[in-house]
Amino acid sequence: MVPCRQLLPRTILACHARHDEKRLMMKTFFKAIGNLFKRPVTVRYPFEKTYIPDDYRGVIDFDEQLCIWCRRCEMACPPGAIVFSQDMQGKQTYHYNRAVCIFCKECVRTCPKEGALLQTNQPAKFALKEENINNGWNALFEEAVVSREKYAAEKKRVAAEKAAAAKAATAKQ
Amino acid sequence: MAKQYEIPVGAQHISLLEPLHFKFTTENEKIVSTTANIYYVHRGIEKACCTKFKFRQVSFVVGRVCGLCSISHTTAYSQVAEKLIKIEIPARAKYLRMLVIELDRIHSHLLCLSHVAENSGFEALFMKTMQYREAFMELLEAVCGNRVQYDFSIVGGVARDLKPEVAMMIIGRLKKFKSQLDELVDIFQNNWTLGLKNKNAGAITREDAMRLNVVGPFARAAGLAVDVRNESQELLPWIEVGFKIITETGGDAYSRSLVRLREIYVSMRMVENIINGLPESALITETKAFPDGEAVVRIEAPRGELFYYAKGNKTQILERLKIKAPTFSNVSAMLEGFEGNEYGSVPAIIASYDPCLSCTSR
Repeated sequence: MVPCRQLLPRTILACHARHDEKRLMMKTFFKAIGNLFKRPVTVRYPFEKTYIPDDYRGVIDFDEQLCIWCRRCEMACPPGAIVFSQDMQGKQTYHYNRAVCIFCKECVRTCPKEGALLQTNQPAKFALKEENINNGWNALFEEAVVSREKYAAEKKRVAAEKAAAAKAATAKQ
Repeated sequence: MAKQYEIPVGAQHISLLEPLHFKFTTENEKIVSTTANIYYVHRGIEKACCTKFKFRQVSFVVGRVCGLCSISHTTAYSQVAEKLIKIEIPARAKYLRMLVIELDRIHSHLLCLSHVAENSGFEALFMKTMQYREAFMELLEAVCGNRVQYDFSIVGGVARDLKPEVAMMIIGRLKKFKSQLDELVDIFQNNWTLGLKNKNAGAITREDAMRLNVVGPFARAAGLAVDVRNESQELLPWIEVGFKIITETGGDAYSRSLVRLREIYVSMRMVENIINGLPESALITETKAFPDGEAVVRIEAPRGELFYYAKGNKTQILERLKIKAPTFSNVSAMLEGFEGNEYGSVPAIIASYDPCLSCTSR
């Protein structure tokens, strides 16, 4: 085979095109025959593993002990795969949907507490029908937002009541 | 006058990669005129970017515009957003962006070449080219952490650093690929049957290319030296890392394949230069500014000039984002190129145009 860099100027190119085409065709033919006795280049996928780098962008891990509950990851997440719900005592719970996540690591970059969120190199598992991962997640997302609003309204009401009581106490004096 | 027949191709057709509809008027197998219909995959991405997503999240949204030039879209958007919030990105981020864009260009060109071979009826060459392309998919996965959606450029810099072992892997693979690319060039130039299908097929003259405002390898194959990398140096220093413009004169499917093959050599040299001279600096410039004013950015995607316009109004959400993809500029010239060709060579010609309809329709 002629090295390509010599071929690139047009004059040499034209010279080469005039060469015996039969020779090239026979070369291709013998190569094709030779390929029959070579190992296949494809990977036998389920039995052999395909290439995955060590720092593959996989699912996000959450550490409840380290989290400071600032909800910045929820605000930064482009597809909305993270949401925090809140019960009436003010305790927050982290919800994460691996089927919505695009593994962009934006949540990990915005997290102010190091180690609370971590990107693993594990690819996401397939979603199953029982999980109801689309409709269930949409309902959960709505519920979480409503639960936070409820808690905020309750807190406001309690604060207003306290203020009113304090005002009444000062008025009595 | 011979009887005229109308032959529709698409929106779903065995030789089309993406939904594109052509209606050919033919006369004795010769194409007389063509009409095209392109907006089949409109997803409303521009509108979503201006209503639903904050400006820092938009760089991940526009990456989903196209699977092949994902990094060109994200980089173009990141640059336009950096202009709006008026920051300068670190030098290392610039070079890493160029590295991924060039690796992406290599794999995109190899995909196009493989489809030219397939649509010309050369299935073995299709398999061979796809096999070589797989090495670059793995390199991109090693650099960015994902095969298709790189999410590499973010507003203010890049998301990941290049690890030394990955850099070594890229250099090793490129060394191995050089002989494989020589082999591909040999086949594309000298194979007799492929030449029958590709030479003088879908030809367009230099004057027509200039008149119809053609961009990318399509224009360079017709002898028109247009390349954004040659024109603008202030955002990414292309010429510094060894960019050289490639042109051919034929304007047909054969010249387009040659332009792509020779551009792969240039891209390989640029990747080597970037890795050998990668500057040490931070990866990202932090700022809390909001986008304000208007900005325009052009970047050379694998298919040609990609244009981004953005307008901010000092809030988290952009007021307007406009994307003009390279294929949109080329559609009128595509129709011109079909005229006078046999209907049988249409699949090869379509593949050699390398149309990307997801980009065009957005």
